[in-house]
Amino acid sequence: MTAGTHKGFWPDRATLLAILAALVCAAPVFAVAWIALTGQSDDYLLHLARTRLPVYLAYSVYVGLVAAGGAALIGTGLGWLIARADFPGRKLFSWVLILPLAVPAYVAAYAWLDLSQAGGPLQAWTGGLFPTVRGGWGAGLMFALVLYPYIFLLARDAFTGQSADAYNAARTLGAGPVTAFWRTSLPMARPALAAGVALVMMESLADYGTVSYLGAPTLSIGLIRAWSGAGSLVDAARLSLILVAIALVVFSLERMQRRRARTTAASGKHKPAPRLVLTGWQSGLAVLACLTPLMLGLVIPLARLAWLALNELAAPGLIAAAFHSLTLASISALCAALLGMATAYALRGGGFMATASARAAGLGYAVPGAVAAVGVIAILSGTQGLIDPAWEALTGSVFPILLTGGAAALIFAYLSRFAAAAIGPSEAALGRVTPALDGAARTLGASARETLWRVHWPLIAAGVCSAGLLVFVEVLKELPATMILRPFNYDTLAIIAHNYAADERLGEAALPSLLIPMVALIPMIFVARYLSRTRTPSGTG
Amino acid sequence: MKSAYLLAAAGAVASLLAACSPSGDNGAQTGASDEPRVVNLYSARHYRSDAAVYAAFTEATGIEINLVEASGDQLIERIRADGARSPADVIITVDAARLHRAEEAGLFAQTDFSEFTSGVADYLVDPNGYWVGFAGRSRVIAYSNQRVQPGEITTYEDLADPRWEGRVCVRESGNAYNQSLLASIIARSGEEAAEAWAAGIVANMARPPQGGDITQIIGVAAGDCDVAITNHYYYALMTQSGDVANRAAAEAVTLLFPNQETSGAHMNVSGAGIAVNAPHPEEARELIAFLFSDEAQRMFAEMTNEIPVMPDVEWENPTLDAMMPFVADERNLSELGDNNATAQRIFDRVGWQ
Repeated sequence: MTAGTHKGFWPDRATLLAILAALVCAAPVFAVAWIALTGQSDDYLLHLARTRLPVYLAYSVYVGLVAAGGAALIGTGLGWLIARADFPGRKLFSWVLILPLAVPAYVAAYAWLDLSQAGGPLQAWTGGLFPTVRGGWGAGLMFALVLYPYIFLLARDAFTGQSADAYNAARTLGAGPVTAFWRTSLPMARPALAAGVALVMMESLADYGTVSYLGAPTLSIGLIRAWSGAGSLVDAARLSLILVAIALVVFSLERMQRRRARTTAASGKHKPAPRLVLTGWQSGLAVLACLTPLMLGLVIPLARLAWLALNELAAPGLIAAAFHSLTLASISALCAALLGMATAYALRGGGFMATASARAAGLGYAVPGAVAAVGVIAILSGTQGLIDPAWEALTGSVFPILLTGGAAALIFAYLSRFAAAAIGPSEAALGRVTPALDGAARTLGASARETLWRVHWPLIAAGVCSAGLLVFVEVLKELPATMILRPFNYDTLAIIAHNYAADERLGEAALPSLLIPMVALIPMIFVARYLSRTRTPSGTG
Repeated sequence: MKSAYLLAAAGAVASLLAACSPSGDNGAQTGASDEPRVVNLYSARHYRSDAAVYAAFTEATGIEINLVEASGDQLIERIRADGARSPADVIITVDAARLHRAEEAGLFAQTDFSEFTSGVADYLVDPNGYWVGFAGRSRVIAYSNQRVQPGEITTYEDLADPRWEGRVCVRESGNAYNQSLLASIIARSGEEAAEAWAAGIVANMARPPQGGDITQIIGVAAGDCDVAITNHYYYALMTQSGDVANRAAAEAVTLLFPNQETSGAHMNVSGAGIAVNAPHPEEARELIAFLFSDEAQRMFAEMTNEIPVMPDVEWENPTLDAMMPFVADERNLSELGDNNATAQRIFDRVGWQ
């Protein structure tokens, strides 16, 4: 714990944590791979390759592209508006726009299909013109509407952190605002955007509920069917390796293009870019632009459910479930933010282990939750098998059973699945802290820890908090791992919502569904306040 | 301010530790008689009204229920991974194929259920004695009152007839109830005929599969299609819905129990068995016995519109009354499990999404 004067202090310790993060994230995937490779073979995969596999792959590409494209469009546009323009309600929108992330995609899908199906209200009001939200584009649209906050958060922070110099230079040289944005601001924000797009894409591909409900058979449908229909968990595990491969490609592409886009214009004490003050119809348009995704992703689907809920009684146990959700999500978010920050630091320090760790951590994101949970189970029961004999020999008593022992297994599963989501934002935030800044701080006599706390933290706090928020919200709505790993008598909001929705009681699913974004509001307000307090003094200090 | 964060962090760590420590009596069998009696239930049913059934059980017996709910396949994996240490006492799933899979995974103890299942039809009881069905559900046809004449369709086989081209609504084939329906056709008519039937349905689909069973009924009411395949209780749910549009859609269709003159309507069950390593086998027996009690059977009929399996159960549910009686397919449900994997392959081959 000595305040080292050499540069090795942070990378070392951070790399250790990064390796830990990678182990936590990738372990279930490796367990799944082990199941896939050691399991018995029959001809099911051959059968699948002859029949449905091409369709699954085509739909995966289709859904992934629609989701990523839609989310990138919404997230980047809104991120820029909030960061660089001024209009009525901007401050409120800057965090309310994150809320659709708290709506599980399958809940949005249930509500939108209900609204837009033949005989639904939208078809009635438009004389049958409104298209039924279904198929590949429908599912992709649902993902875009509830996952765009990934990109929005990163884009907002990236645009906020950008120095205005390049943009102003472009304007001085005669470029219009759009061209200047396209040629200067956007390329500088590209690493952050790419991280968000990669997350949106992987999350869409790992989803099961939405695509099965809307009739968009992606690969994850294929693997759940291999498991539940053909009864082969082994073949499901094998199919999930395809998803892992896709994730590796997506995250590698993201990293490659991040390396190309080394920005130098950003600095610690940048000139805060003056916001473009919008007036009149321009500000009206800006407000409309913010309201549209909020309406489509949050208000309309939940309002539809609430409408259906009017005649239903409140489900019992909602308060306990909300408390469970909040507890699980808070602990996971704190751990994930820590692991994400450490990985970001490790990457900054460089080195093979750091890079390998960051890549491995991304794997957890690739596998559908249900399959990842099987990996967690395999690990826990394997560990149990190792501990049991030793423990009994040492103490003569029985070691408590791991799986049903408590919420620890759940936290492990959440981290393995979502810690990767915390790495991208932290890394993007840390990317804005140039090495020159460290040099300056150290030259002025600051210890490594002081440098971290007084120089880095104010600059990266927003990014790290965003990372924690993402994980928080993800855990709130996580379903398959929660279902299979939870202790006795332990409901969460997502589980109650799902149980009703799966039973096609949409009305009764409404209240727990509504509560999920409301619980998500708690940390959002907390973080928003914290950030608005830290930023001002340190920005001028 | 900094200390506030430290406090928050400390709180989080404390709650993490609390969450990590094993809670309550999960595993070991309790010898002392003054210990509260418990039974650990792993259930794939996800009906909130089950809470009332469990509360009634605790009321009647004083035995507390520890509950985990997850999908059947997930429960099977979890219990299998826990192995001999699994705290599971009773395993409930909602599809015969899932019961069969749990049986094949060696999760059930062979049990003589006859003591409390006298009068339950043979086809609902596993011939090997591993599990027993306690509440029934039938997969049936809903047809448009406007565009389909009564008697125009009477069997599942009719649905594949070219006469119904572009007129059938049905959900995706990953759904367990579709798989079991096809498995029953395989058992009855053989794989070849079953594949021809599935291909016929695909050719007759009015639209690609989307949504759940209620979506299909609404599709008929709205004119997207003329006939739909659905589980009987979804129709019941719609007639009892607080939503006017749902009730109107239900009124626009007629529910038909198919194959009344031939094989009988396809049946599926919620079924239960005792876990092979159950730490509380006596309590497990009591819970399963309770599921067949008048009280529980009545609750299934009234709260989830399921079909009671015990004879002479009385209930108050006009919707269910209107459906009864009907001829059920009495081929043993264990055959559905045998044919489930084949059914999945047929769906893949014929391109039933």
